Amino acid sequence: MFSRRTRILLAVLVVASLTFVILDLRGGEGPFATARTVVSNTLGGLERVAATVFSPITGAGSWWSSMRDQAGQIDTLTADNDALRSELTTLTADKARVAALDGLLRVASVGQYRFVPGEVIAVGPVQDFSWTVTIDAGRNDGIEQDMSVINGAGLVGRVLKTTANTSTVVLIVDQGSAVGGRVAGTNEIGVVSGTGSQDELEFELLDPMADVRVGDAIITFGSKSGRPYAPGLPIGKVVEVKGTSGQLTRVARVQPFADMSQLSVLGVVTKPPREDPRDSVLPNADNLSIVPTPAPLGGSDTATESTPAATEESAATSDASRAPEEETAAVPVESGSP
Amino acid sequence: MIWRQALIVGTFSLLAVLIEVTLLSRLGIPGATPDLVVVTVVAIALAMGPVQGAVAGFTAGVLLDLAPPGDTLLGVNAVVYVAIGFIAGIAVDPRDRTVPIMMGMTGLATGAAVLLTSGLDTMLGSDRVDWEQVPMLALTSAVYGVILAPGLILLVASVVRKATPEVLVT
Repeated sequence: MFSRRTRILLAVLVVASLTFVILDLRGGEGPFATARTVVSNTLGGLERVAATVFSPITGAGSWWSSMRDQAGQIDTLTADNDALRSELTTLTADKARVAALDGLLRVASVGQYRFVPGEVIAVGPVQDFSWTVTIDAGRNDGIEQDMSVINGAGLVGRVLKTTANTSTVVLIVDQGSAVGGRVAGTNEIGVVSGTGSQDELEFELLDPMADVRVGDAIITFGSKSGRPYAPGLPIGKVVEVKGTSGQLTRVARVQPFADMSQLSVLGVVTKPPREDPRDSVLPNADNLSIVPTPAPLGGSDTATESTPAATEESAATSDASRAPEEETAAVPVESGSP
Repeated sequence: MIWRQALIVGTFSLLAVLIEVTLLSRLGIPGATPDLVVVTVVAIALAMGPVQGAVAGFTAGVLLDLAPPGDTLLGVNAVVYVAIGFIAGIAVDPRDRTVPIMMGMTGLATGAAVLLTSGLDTMLGSDRVDWEQVPMLALTSAVYGVILAPGLILLVASVVRKATPEVLVT
């Protein structure tokens, strides 16, 4: 039916594709991996150029989302108004929760974490089912594999791979993502895994008797030496608890703090905090800015090897010296979420 | 002349990949990301023929997998797009092609691309594919394919007519 040349070419293309699949499945180093990195580097550079060209369009924000948002905005505001009225009466209880969330938000941006900022320049197609984005900062900016990635709201993901000037970030909502999480203010730990849906995570608690409630905040438990996840980063809040206390597994539905559909400037945590994450969850009134700032305890940068007691002490003294009046605000947070 | 054809195929594939990941996937359009890459492969197959379509499919598929943030298995998109490029080139006799037929072919191609890559990924052991979402993604992808088709088919055909008129399929 077709000429010999056509048939050979078609066979070559199919065999080449399948060879790539096999080589990719096999993984590891070698000339194939090197060639692949070179091409990815080049394409990453071109993507930076293209992203600049398209920045007037993408910079205006996600137009579809914002249109849809506006339609629902009136309903949301009306509902908010009613909610606020009723909240006035139960203000005291909510105040503590707001303060806790506020504190968590601040933790992401204050000097506890050193981070390199990067702007999202490319997003994986939805039909690939992989929640990955590319940012315009890479190895040359000090980014390495398995660093935590955050935005102003909380944990976004981790660095999957890097090229010279770009990094690929796999988001926490990706199906393959699993993050060690802890319920803020308690010792309950578990695994937060992605569901493939952009506003839903699944939190599986290790202790089946754990007391988790809707509205509880989940923060990262922290990995060894802060890779891939630095401790104390806010992940999301519990919106639904599945199963009752005492069942074999206890699973909660968690909504991530970071809006995965509206990612713009992300921060890659290049240096996790030194002290226990528990301490960094406490609100520090002095550091409200979300601009990347160097660690306030600049003098103790080299104290990574110091004993836990010493770091706790330094953290305690710095807290006290920086914001003595915040201690009163911090008390209800701790007692409000036992 | 073969170099000129290669240049057309390569340039269109590269531009399609770049526009898809840096622009289209960031617009937050509901459903699937408009599959500009597949539409481009179909447009090349319609303008230049099945062999060029298959080559375009291979090139574009490999580039899409290699371009950050691509994290799927390298080669899966390539093998699917090779098939799509080749079949699009031979499916309908050039004399019977009308604009609605070509738009329909593109829609079928973009829809099939979602189904085939999802199927192949699953067969190769990826647990990422959420089959509950696949039908909706395939449908929206097909709709976006139909919408993108006329403009891109005309663009590719006019470039081919100017640069390499000898391969133009009329």
